[in-house]
Amino acid sequence: MKRGDVLLISIVLVAALAFLAPRWFSSNDEGGPGKNLVANITVDGKLYRTVKLTEENQTIDIRTKRGYNILKVHDYGIEMYDADCPDKVCLGFGFITLPKQTIVCLPHRVLVEIASASGEDDIDAYVQ
Amino acid sequence: MPMSSSESATALKRTVIIAIFSAVAVVLGILEAQIPLVGMGLMPGAKLGFANIMILTCIYFLRGRDALLLVVLKTLLTAFLLGSFSSLLFSLSGSLLSFVVMFLLVRFGGKRFSLIGISIAGGLAHNVGQLLAASMVFSSLSILYYLPLLLITGIVTGIAVGFAVRYLVTSLSKISLFEEFLD
Repeated sequence: MKRGDVLLISIVLVAALAFLAPRWFSSNDEGGPGKNLVANITVDGKLYRTVKLTEENQTIDIRTKRGYNILKVHDYGIEMYDADCPDKVCLGFGFITLPKQTIVCLPHRVLVEIASASGEDDIDAYVQ
Repeated sequence: MPMSSSESATALKRTVIIAIFSAVAVVLGILEAQIPLVGMGLMPGAKLGFANIMILTCIYFLRGRDALLLVVLKTLLTAFLLGSFSSLLFSLSGSLLSFVVMFLLVRFGGKRFSLIGISIAGGLAHNVGQLLAASMVFSSLSILYYLPLLLITGIVTGIAVGFAVRYLVTSLSKISLFEEFLD
């Protein structure tokens, strides 16, 4: 290991921690009931649907020419339930409940991002 | 343009090395795709980057264009074999950026960085390139949410890959096939 290596590692570590640290402090009590969170689902960069994160179960089927993704909403969060993409990376994101968390399925160009619904209360894509 | 026999022998050796390295890189790529990193609680999308061992070793021994050929071959072949063509754009942009960064560091930063540092830089460039391509396709920066975590895993795997490259370079330098490519 040379000095340049150590410098590179420390700079990248500091930068990564600088991005991570604010999340640890703010992510304690967000999400859950009463927060009115929504999940914005985009396919190919275009908004596909906005779903309210409810306690009740909802299933969202996304079928495109690339394949299918099935999302499940429950307990104020959302998770990728099934997909026929080759790498299955999207299934690994697990159950997400906090604003700014995302689920990505690169092969199918599907992006799910949690946002707070305040300011855009007139969402009409509330799926039962 | 006719080549002298020693020139054509060198060209043949280069071709053979690229072919062997591509084969090994593809096998490593397929192997690491079978390892359930996500199941072990790691970042989705994080990879061990073992194929990078062959690419960095190739940059070390051969010319830039040879290593570039290896990168393109490896990416295309892995996509064919794993059937992941729909994500070819992302893996290609990641591996090309990683190649450029490692090539420049081997050629111009060799005094300041060891192979371990160069491998870390290559791994990080791979993650950054892939995420940038993804955020362009999605026209959204929210994917970069995972960048800090990917940077940290990239450092760890980069160190492992760097050590592997160091051992591989030492061993290969003793083989006659690689003799004439030593600096």
